[in-house]
Amino acid sequence: MRHPGDGTLRRLLDEPDGVADVDRDHVDECPECRSRMSAAADDALLAGSALTFDVPDVDVDEGWRRLSGSLAGARKPAAGRKFGLRSPVVAVVGVVALLGGASAAAAGDWFPIFKTEKVAPITVPQADLVQLPELQEFGTMTRDARPNVRTVDDARDAREITGLASPRINNLPDGVAGQPRFLVGDKLTGTFAFDRARTEQALGQRIPQPPAGMETSRFRMTAGPGLAAVWPGSSGAPALVIGRVVAPKAFSTGVPFETARDYLLSLPGLPASVAGQLKAFTKDGGTLPLIVKEDSETSFTTKVDGKPATVLTTEGGAISAVVWVDGGFINGVGGSLSAAEVLRVAAETQWTQ
Amino acid sequence: MSHSAWRRCFPGVKLLVTEREDAVPASVRSDLEHIFRAAYPRVVGVAARVLGSRDEAEDVAQETFLSFSRTDVPAGEAIGWLCVAAAHTALNHLRSGRRRASREEAARDPRVAVSPDVADAVVARDEHRRVRAALSRLPRKQAVALVLRHSGLSYAEVAAALDLSPGSVGTTVRRAESALREELNRHASSR
Repeated sequence: MRHPGDGTLRRLLDEPDGVADVDRDHVDECPECRSRMSAAADDALLAGSALTFDVPDVDVDEGWRRLSGSLAGARKPAAGRKFGLRSPVVAVVGVVALLGGASAAAAGDWFPIFKTEKVAPITVPQADLVQLPELQEFGTMTRDARPNVRTVDDARDAREITGLASPRINNLPDGVAGQPRFLVGDKLTGTFAFDRARTEQALGQRIPQPPAGMETSRFRMTAGPGLAAVWPGSSGAPALVIGRVVAPKAFSTGVPFETARDYLLSLPGLPASVAGQLKAFTKDGGTLPLIVKEDSETSFTTKVDGKPATVLTTEGGAISAVVWVDGGFINGVGGSLSAAEVLRVAAETQWTQ
Repeated sequence: MSHSAWRRCFPGVKLLVTEREDAVPASVRSDLEHIFRAAYPRVVGVAARVLGSRDEAEDVAQETFLSFSRTDVPAGEAIGWLCVAAAHTALNHLRSGRRRASREEAARDPRVAVSPDVADAVVARDEHRRVRAALSRLPRKQAVALVLRHSGLSYAEVAAALDLSPGSVGTTVRRAESALREELNRHASSR
């Protein structure tokens, strides 16, 4: 009788009932097939061991929240695709928007521990950007309150809900017309707790002794509330966004922020170039770094109402935004406009209480 | 530029628009949440076997469900579709870059001594990296069949998901396991 094929022998290991009796009987009687089956079992064991990676306690609720957010964010009119670069206008809203959160990628998680009083750009190569450690690998990061961003009826509602002034602009840029709709977001809060063992696990090496009290400190980070006025463009995507959000702040139950910052920055894994730039910031905080990828956006600094501001422009200049910090607020203007236009709008915007 | 690209460019800047919650578009299939809750851990598990990273696996699972939300795959075929998609997406991630490897390399500071406990972790991580590298070199169908089988899918489920006959699933898995061993041995002997 012919010998069963390798596939049959392999299945015999996993699902013997799925193999014909005649093949099973043959293997029982055939030393050659038993030897082949033994080799298959060894390989199966090796593969099973190699591919073992347990993921206990998958947080389905958090996963669903994340997916829901992505689905809502992906809800753009078909025209957005048609107009190509129009859809990033929606993303420019982010410049106006909210900071922090447990899932924010890479370096973003680090920065809310600074009290924000001005904006300064940090430019890092893309390779370095992806090299930055994620905060959740260094402890626990919990998001205690989410912003629940939503549309409200008008500027008055936006002001009442957020307690913030709303923007008004009399001289809209060319191509922008009509009344804006208003978005509001509640205050976002999160808490970070440093964990040395987890950090060493993540970095694969011993790390320097943390400052006394570092491991028992809790860093509570807040950002928001915020509001934004959004003018639709001809494609249905926003043509202009003007917004404001209460700048991120951090509160510590123990170690001062500056001490924690300097320690965190000293950990291996943070690119030396970025660490050096961060260390250059004043120790009393007051700077909100923005990371700008070098190869697809340009940025430059200027002033809006006498305050330091960062202007971001996509390659080709199709999308621009300006961000500045004033009086504890992050303000932003963005749209499918030139840098000059967003700066003009930023300068002329009136904030109405 | 894509939305995700913007997020990479401005990490930490949470987009106002994308923070809208409780607003799953009506155009999304109505059974999505039910299927998500039933299948999410398994989909994360499939991706984790490929990537050796929980965080990356969850990212892949999210990406997979986003794609799934736009399909009209029958609910009865959802789990197979999702597992195959997760395996493919995770393998794509493996092949598209060596980001994590470079990050891990960069994270090592030779000036800091390595303790025995941490050394164990390093060894485990090196193993994961070797496996991922070997997996990425297998023929795609073999790699997917291997991952699905070792994620607990039955021969019938793997066959349905990959449009194979149940008989050829065993052959494909066997070849994949043999190839994986050879890849791992080759790598080990070249070190």
